[in-house]
Amino acid sequence: MADSTEVTLKIDGRDVTVPPGTLVIEAARRMGIEVPSFCYFPGLSLQAACRMCLVEVEKAPKLQTACTLVAMPGMVVRTSTPQVHQARKAMLEFLLANHPLDCPVCDKGGECELQDMVFTYGADKSRFAEEKRHKPEQKWSEAVYYDAPRCILCFRCVRVCDEGMDVKALGVGMRGSQSVIIPNGEDHLDCEECGMCIDICPVGALTSGTYRYKTRPWEMSYVSTVCTHCSNGCKTTLSVRNNEILRANNRDLSGFNKDFLCTKGRFGFDFTKHPERLRLPLVRRNGKLLPSSWEDALAEASRRLAEIHKATGADSIGFIGSNHTTNEENYLLGLVARGAIGTNNLDHHRTADYASLIAALGENSPAASLTMTQVYEADAVLLIGDDPTEQNPLVAWQIRSAIRHRGARLHIINSKSIKLLRKAKDFVEVPVGGEANAIRWLAEGHGQLDPNIIERLSRLRDTLQKESNVAIVFGAELIGSAVRDLVKFGSSLPGQTRYMALGDYSNSRGASDMGMLPNMLPGYASLSDAKARDKFGNLWGAKLSDKPGLDARGMLAAAANGKLDALYVVGANPVKTFGVDATDRLGKLSLLIVQDLFLTETAMLADIVLPASSAYEKNGTAANTAGELQQVRKGADVMGTRSDFDILRILSHQLAQQGLGQAIRLRTPEAAFEEIRQSVSGYKVSMATHLLGEAEATAPVSTANGNANFDVPASAIFSSHDTLFTSGTLGRYCTMIQSLPEAAEERTPEVEARS
Amino acid sequence: MNLPPQLEAKFQVLENRYPVKRSALIPMLIYSQDQFGYVSDDMIAEIARRLDLNTLQVTETMEYYSMLRRHRAGKYHVQVCTNVSCMLRGGNKLYEFVQKKLEIGHKQTTEDGIFSLEEVECIGACTGAPAMQVNYDFYENLTIERTTQIFEALELGRGPEPSIPISGSIKPRHPAEVPVISRLFGIKDSHKLDVYVANDGYKGMERALKELTPEQVVDEVKKSNLRGRGGAGFPTGMKWSFVPKESAKPKYVLCNADESEPGTCKDRPLMELMPHQLIEGIVIAGRAVGSHQGYIYIRGEYRYVLDIMDGALEEAYKAGYLGKNILGSGFDFDLVTHTGAGAYECGEESALMESLEGKRGYPRIRPPFPAVVGLYGSPTVINNVETLSAAPEILRRGGEWYAGLGSPKNGGTRLFCISGHVKKPGIYELPMGFSLRRMIEEVAGGMLDGRKLKAVIPGGSSCPLLKADEIDINMDYDSVAKAGSMLGSGGLVVIDEDTCMVDLARRIMHFYAHESCGWCIPCREGTGWLRKMLDRFHSGAGTAEDIPMVAELAKNMLGKTFCPLGDAAAMPTISIVNKWRHEFEQHLTGKCPYRPADVLALTR
Repeated sequence: MADSTEVTLKIDGRDVTVPPGTLVIEAARRMGIEVPSFCYFPGLSLQAACRMCLVEVEKAPKLQTACTLVAMPGMVVRTSTPQVHQARKAMLEFLLANHPLDCPVCDKGGECELQDMVFTYGADKSRFAEEKRHKPEQKWSEAVYYDAPRCILCFRCVRVCDEGMDVKALGVGMRGSQSVIIPNGEDHLDCEECGMCIDICPVGALTSGTYRYKTRPWEMSYVSTVCTHCSNGCKTTLSVRNNEILRANNRDLSGFNKDFLCTKGRFGFDFTKHPERLRLPLVRRNGKLLPSSWEDALAEASRRLAEIHKATGADSIGFIGSNHTTNEENYLLGLVARGAIGTNNLDHHRTADYASLIAALGENSPAASLTMTQVYEADAVLLIGDDPTEQNPLVAWQIRSAIRHRGARLHIINSKSIKLLRKAKDFVEVPVGGEANAIRWLAEGHGQLDPNIIERLSRLRDTLQKESNVAIVFGAELIGSAVRDLVKFGSSLPGQTRYMALGDYSNSRGASDMGMLPNMLPGYASLSDAKARDKFGNLWGAKLSDKPGLDARGMLAAAANGKLDALYVVGANPVKTFGVDATDRLGKLSLLIVQDLFLTETAMLADIVLPASSAYEKNGTAANTAGELQQVRKGADVMGTRSDFDILRILSHQLAQQGLGQAIRLRTPEAAFEEIRQSVSGYKVSMATHLLGEAEATAPVSTANGNANFDVPASAIFSSHDTLFTSGTLGRYCTMIQSLPEAAEERTPEVEARS
Repeated sequence: MNLPPQLEAKFQVLENRYPVKRSALIPMLIYSQDQFGYVSDDMIAEIARRLDLNTLQVTETMEYYSMLRRHRAGKYHVQVCTNVSCMLRGGNKLYEFVQKKLEIGHKQTTEDGIFSLEEVECIGACTGAPAMQVNYDFYENLTIERTTQIFEALELGRGPEPSIPISGSIKPRHPAEVPVISRLFGIKDSHKLDVYVANDGYKGMERALKELTPEQVVDEVKKSNLRGRGGAGFPTGMKWSFVPKESAKPKYVLCNADESEPGTCKDRPLMELMPHQLIEGIVIAGRAVGSHQGYIYIRGEYRYVLDIMDGALEEAYKAGYLGKNILGSGFDFDLVTHTGAGAYECGEESALMESLEGKRGYPRIRPPFPAVVGLYGSPTVINNVETLSAAPEILRRGGEWYAGLGSPKNGGTRLFCISGHVKKPGIYELPMGFSLRRMIEEVAGGMLDGRKLKAVIPGGSSCPLLKADEIDINMDYDSVAKAGSMLGSGGLVVIDEDTCMVDLARRIMHFYAHESCGWCIPCREGTGWLRKMLDRFHSGAGTAEDIPMVAELAKNMLGKTFCPLGDAAAMPTISIVNKWRHEFEQHLTGKCPYRPADVLALTR
């Protein structure tokens, strides 16, 4: 049944009913009628500039642009008359007049909207006998090139840069047929280098520095996977030819990020073929790391682990996991540490306090978790700490889009002057590190704060009381009891308040969810919970210890003072991350094993280095910072490496032979995922949706029942404050991103120290 | 950046003049250019800083406007018009002469930096053709002799006397003329307040403010059958009635003084000779629609006119005809001028609003219409100078009186600018519906040098042309439309038998290609294509297939472009191909039979 406010009109003789305000071009698309357009792009402001979408409307004297025409009751539209076809043909003829017909060497050839439209609607011969416009190609940055003669001036790039990105780095220069797109630095770009302009360009006017003149689109295969950099979990489609990733973009728009990718998602894949990539295991012989076979390296690893286990016990061994490995790999690492070795010395670089958030939300966790899509759908967003533009670019995009498309209101509490302030309705500036105090004041109504801040906070509280369904997004500034305070305050607001903690990396959330924590099992089950211990113990063929282990800093301290003998590091660089003085090979450790892509500062100190595959070279799942689970899919192989999944699985077999634990019987990531689905709180997602490649929200529920411990040491959880152009250790190997001048500008000492 | 005190003062006024800071952008750019000869990168950064813009927003806006430049021009920037009216009176020869004289070409500067040269589009001196501007000074009715004298004076550093007021505005009245809005043309100091007041000035406004309700003001204008004099001829009273009575946002009255339709030069004398009449008309419009703020957007080339307008505004404020509680009526109204910077497209009402907001002059999507969502997103009434100038007498003497002066549904009189091959080019105020034949043969003194009439552009270069046997029509909106053309802006261009119509079509297309804003594909590409094609065709390299194709390409633009500029380029072209096809065919022999190929120096 049609809603009484809905509008029924006739397009090409058929009735269609649409919500009021729907544009005719969208109404037609709903019916499967394609009305061609260049300048019309959903989500961006209307232009009516390309005139491709001209249609006949009964009673209108002239053809009308379907992209600006709002559907009205009883309207009769015709999209396929001789007059309409003639208009389309004429527009294309005009466009092709000056457009170079260099399609055979144009990057866009084969996936060009102009080419496709000429094929469908264009004339079969050219009548243009005059001289074409010539202009040299311009290099605007290492990443972005502009070829003016190919440009059809649809202004999509200008709009996405201004309206979408709030960067305003592109404009229109000159006038009339001389019009060109111009960058903000006269002859170069000074921007966020997101490359949105390249993807949105319907023709080959804007091309990518990583991809140009490399291949033809039909020679590649396409794999959509999750970006391996920040924690937002954007879908990125890898274009692969001959086992080499040549491009990353979001051409199928299948992810919750839709149009969006930042510079890392689009250009940050070339680390996979960095010359320093490890391709052979390394074993230290006479003080030197020398190449070894996989067999020898793994045999030595298991033998020495068993020896230490026998000599000084399980708790003399520690494990530091990764923020980038898949859920399945993290689950396996927990299995090896807790099941095979028998220690809870297991941690990773925690960048957001997911555990406290889940504990504070309790039973409410599923309803009160905020997804990326819900950020866009929110009417009001409260942002505390963090700088999403730099650290969580999709969150920033979603917030901007909510403001732009839906009139959402943004309220900010921060100690820094972040870019999103431009869009904010309220800003409460607090001293550095003052976010937690501000939240305590909001929750408790008292606290020692500057009277000015109190006044602003009380105004903010009154404003938020008038909102409903507030979306709260917060950074690592809030941990432990501050998160509990936040949830207390949030619960006092009208409607369903939802929360998102902002972490740093592609599977930061999954690392936490999979229990790479010294005091929690997968799904945030407490070690003191005997039922949970039994459940995982049964699955892993071991009796699990209830004694909380050392956290990452604790392990590094224990290594320094001789209380830890072996450290097993997977995809992490603790020497840099935790600022360890590494001159003496991590204290008195007798064994350091590192699985990684590169010879990091930590790997350099190791006894055994195992070359691992990157996230673009394996299958599995990852959860973004919102807890949304997505498939990680393999794009290419790098010879000599193995996935962390395989390494850990083989290791477990060898450990079993040494009498430590049971060999992992999960042969594939898919099998491991099925076990995770069955056993980890919140992970029983719909397989149908998951296999379609869509995101599924996970929301573990804490079993702490009000006994949760919010006493989190201040140093246990911290953000690396990566920028748009850094990505922890991985960022150093992203050649294209490193070559961008903006990356150099942003490489602050603070960031440098941790990457 | 430290600015010279005068410029600093101007900037401060501009920064506080508009509800949105960015509006000050174009005036700031042009005033900086006046000061320094160009707009430097430092100046761009300074203006961006003052207006909270990034430098790209400044440069992209700047590049749109043809008067603004980023490189120094000569001390004397010589701008020779070669558009239709000037071309017909020797503009091309003049331009060639100046090129030789200065030994420089288009957009070049002499080595000593004294002179720079530019071939420009219509500067609004059509009745004084051929004409040129040196900086902001107009020189009209130029001959080689007079031009030589001007350059001699300039070389000596003396500014020769410019042509003020515009040629053809003050002359013996033809008996058929009915002076209403031009009634003070020729009276000494007609631009001054006391002279205007002594001649019934501000009486209409007083009545509107003190005796009539806003609805009654609108009714009076409706009764007058006044129709928009900018070219479209929309009934003014009806336009005013579309503005919502209640509005949370302030309402605006905008005066479109961006006169630039080739062949048209009527707004210029109305502002320079009777600026108070315009001010009065704007206040009346403000009263009618409930607005308290007006802007007069004056094309950048008319700087001296803007100065006259500013002088008149100052007088009006001092005397209480503007500002708070006008004439004790309780009605407040503020009015300021605003300069353009060279863009024909900004005469289109929505592009004008964009320009006034400090942006590139791109037209806006409609609906919403300006009456509801106009300047700064507020209800706005926008009228041409001539339209608003008619309001005072309508209010003083009544709508019915005014309607009675014209023909049915076409009230009053209008200024007809008659230029081209006539004996007495000039600006004549004639009743609506006046015979076109009489205009040419009697009022303008008949054809120059006894030659025969070939064609007439009835209302600016955007209109379809009329043949010599099509001039027995009455010049009002409906009659001219019936004859297949448009009354347009009242710019009549009379063309004699020796003129090459292909050349004319070519020159017209050069104008539209130069002025196309570049927003929509058919206009941007169509005008550019046709320009190149007509250049080639006129030079003798055309083919028989080209002839129908010129018309076809023009038809492919017609009705499909974003704004009327595309139609404006298409309509004269189609009419020339249809009516003078044989002249195109004559060119197939390889050369122009009318006069040697006259290659235009325009580079774009």
